[in-house]
Amino acid sequence: MVSEAVQIITGGLLQGSVFAIVALGYALVYRVTGVINLTQGAFCVLAALITYSLERTLHWPVPLAVATAVVATVGYGLLIGAAVFVPALVRLPPSSLLMVTAGLLTLTNGFALVFWGGDPYSLPPFSGEEPVDVLGARVSTQGLWVAGTALIIILGFWYLFTRTMLGKALQACAENPTAARLMGIDVHRMALLAFALAAMIAALGGIVVAPIFSLQFDTGQMFSILGFIAVAIGGMGSFIGAAVGGLLLGIAKQLAAGYVSSLFSEALALCLLLVTLLWRPSGLFALGRPRRTDVRGEQHVHAPIVRLRGRGALLFGILLAVTIFALPSVISDPSTINSLAIAGILFIAVLGLDILMGYAGQISLGQAAFMAIGGYVAAILATNYDWSPLMSTLMGALVSLICAVVLALATVRLRGVYLALATLAFGLVVDALAIGLRGITGGPSGLTGIPSFSIAGFVFDTDRSMYYLVAAIVSVLLLVLVGATRAGFGRALMSVRADRMAAGALGINVTRVKMAAFAISAVLASLSGSLYAFYFQFLSPEMVGTARSFELLTMLVVGGAGTLVGPLFGVVLLTILPVIFQPLALYKTMVEGALLVAAFRYLPGGILGGLALLWSWSSGHISEKSGLLRQPASRNAR
Amino acid sequence: MNAVEVRDLSKSFGGLRAVSNVSVTVPVGSITALIGPNGAGKTTLFNLITNLYRPDCGEIRLFGDLLQGGPPWEIARRGVVRTFQTARVFPGMTTFENVLSGAHLHLQSNLLQQMLRLGRCRREERFLARRAETLLDLVGLTRFRDVAATDLPMGAQKLLEMIRAFMAMPRLLLLDEPASGLNDGETAELAVLLRAVRESGVTLAIVEHNMSLVMGVADQVIVLDAGKVVASGSPREIQGDARVIEAYVGQVEGTEQCLS
Repeated sequence: MVSEAVQIITGGLLQGSVFAIVALGYALVYRVTGVINLTQGAFCVLAALITYSLERTLHWPVPLAVATAVVATVGYGLLIGAAVFVPALVRLPPSSLLMVTAGLLTLTNGFALVFWGGDPYSLPPFSGEEPVDVLGARVSTQGLWVAGTALIIILGFWYLFTRTMLGKALQACAENPTAARLMGIDVHRMALLAFALAAMIAALGGIVVAPIFSLQFDTGQMFSILGFIAVAIGGMGSFIGAAVGGLLLGIAKQLAAGYVSSLFSEALALCLLLVTLLWRPSGLFALGRPRRTDVRGEQHVHAPIVRLRGRGALLFGILLAVTIFALPSVISDPSTINSLAIAGILFIAVLGLDILMGYAGQISLGQAAFMAIGGYVAAILATNYDWSPLMSTLMGALVSLICAVVLALATVRLRGVYLALATLAFGLVVDALAIGLRGITGGPSGLTGIPSFSIAGFVFDTDRSMYYLVAAIVSVLLLVLVGATRAGFGRALMSVRADRMAAGALGINVTRVKMAAFAISAVLASLSGSLYAFYFQFLSPEMVGTARSFELLTMLVVGGAGTLVGPLFGVVLLTILPVIFQPLALYKTMVEGALLVAAFRYLPGGILGGLALLWSWSSGHISEKSGLLRQPASRNAR
Repeated sequence: MNAVEVRDLSKSFGGLRAVSNVSVTVPVGSITALIGPNGAGKTTLFNLITNLYRPDCGEIRLFGDLLQGGPPWEIARRGVVRTFQTARVFPGMTTFENVLSGAHLHLQSNLLQQMLRLGRCRREERFLARRAETLLDLVGLTRFRDVAATDLPMGAQKLLEMIRAFMAMPRLLLLDEPASGLNDGETAELAVLLRAVRESGVTLAIVEHNMSLVMGVADQVIVLDAGKVVASGSPREIQGDARVIEAYVGQVEGTEQCLS
């Protein structure tokens, strides 16, 4: 009994060391720039894959391969740091920077997919397969390598930040960038340095764990998420916190796997995170910094304001409606109709995300979780209990609504990256349940035999009929949302996004507005998930998993968040392109990441914002009175 | 009746007593100005009255009702609306939308009516638009109607924030440094505007550094220094008060010592 517990805890400590290494990278970048850098995990995988190629394919000696891989990864880190991260740091608010790093994560994953394909890779252990005894527990020698690396990194950090001038300069950037600049510190160079150092740490971590984990191009996402969770448990920006958070997370996962079930170890570890966030929103080792609340710190919105109104809006609406309903008669190719129907279904979920993120400014990385709830509830009721598809869809929406209200109530105090983290954790819990509850959801292989959607006996079992159904739903939703966003509700949402305190001072009930945004967003995602399941007649966890949440987010941002038609461009672009350029499907992930990064960098208003800008230029409407569009003249530097 | 009645109010931040044992009243229908050097506790007092901070001790009554915690938006429901020291117009919204958002408290149409654009919602939107346009015209911001609010010059943003607060139809309006960022001409216009607001039946409390504005419009002036009320009375009384001069110029004895 005792030896089993010791075994589990040592296992947890070793796994936790991995999370701690990733979390230390987070803490470093957060401390210097105030940004949660989701790219961390991608660096781990990139370095490990490079090592694999050098060592296994080119037969280089291990130390040389490792050194080269670390240097190459740091070089790559410097490249994207200088080209994307640092320029973005100057122009964007912290919440958008989180998305930029999410884009960099996807981009790097896609890059790995192009070069190494989708196969899993694993390195041989550095010092043999034979485990050794440590305090009565059998530990693989590779585990000692991991723990040792973590320890060396922690000591290195301690030395850097307490004993060197460079450490003090880095610290100064975190405390007050403006003051640091006045003292002659090159803040941008320090940010780049922190980014590259974090890449180096991640690279080392990735290489030492490669013999334990099997690595795939998208394993980076898992590392990033678990590292993010670890650093949040410990307290953002605290090095001790990152290390402790990582170890705690590792132990919690191993204990859950050992005593409950390995299927739920993820879910239980996430519950640990949610409890930590709710109990101590700033983590166990918070770096407390009192802030004045009546003076506004930063600009929250950087995108141009795009407003279609009057006759222009009417004309645009009619044109859009005609295009939507006339398309199937122009296009004969059934696969295109099929992907347009899918695009329409996803657009419903993106519209929900738009209300929550684009209008109310609440970041959600868990939108697909509500698709999953809606999809699974509806599919199970319709398949196993003979409910009509319509009723089961409504039931799914009701369940989603209840979950959304509970989630919103629980996270009402959380904002920005913490809210993003909580929604991400919620999404991962739903993922884990969809995979773990085999008896109900069909587990990883999915749920089959779902009937087609039908209303009062009419069955939507062809691509074309489904397209028209989705088009009708989307049109109604757009009309209704246009009404709401142009009246008091829309203004309340936008004022909460812009400035909660000033909104509160005008009597706007911030909590209620946020709850309403959450509720609408969840119901729309749920509807989308149900339709998705009925259309495919099949539902598996990865169709509505966390990767989907990131995809919905990309569609929203690329199309144009905070407008209702903008996201349509993003959805159509990202669903149709892979169909048209089938041979290039390999590049899909990379392009998605690149588009997300590019949208933030070059098109803050998304495609719609870009089009509006173009239209204004071409017709000379860019005067102050045009009312169609204004590009803010100045962006406040952070 | 008093719009605000503060009794023995104290608030500390760490070791600093930002407000200590302050008792002030703002009579209904008056313009009350809070003055004092930087760090005197003027804005803290505002933040206490609008429930952004909880007092350590003491009580606050708004129109006779005791203020007891609760979320910030409850204050506006009681008819008390404020502006901020740094104009906090809503970024991402046009000037016009900013003004309209001030009327949120008085919206009659519910979400469903807004979604379906029913008659009540349309009528309400038309009514609010007219009111907003009148106010924009009043402060001379009509030409900025559809411009991003954050693109306006600072003075215009302060005026915008004020008319946005006015859309909420407050009984008491708290203005934190309304004249900062305004030039002399604009400050004179502001004085006219403030008097007009008072005539319309709204009680005003302002924190302000611009003495000519304060002396010109205030019915009552309260002087704070180091978290304490140093003096209060009519502008004329205040101008001659030795303690006020001391608070602004520094301790008289100290000055003498330096000179000797």
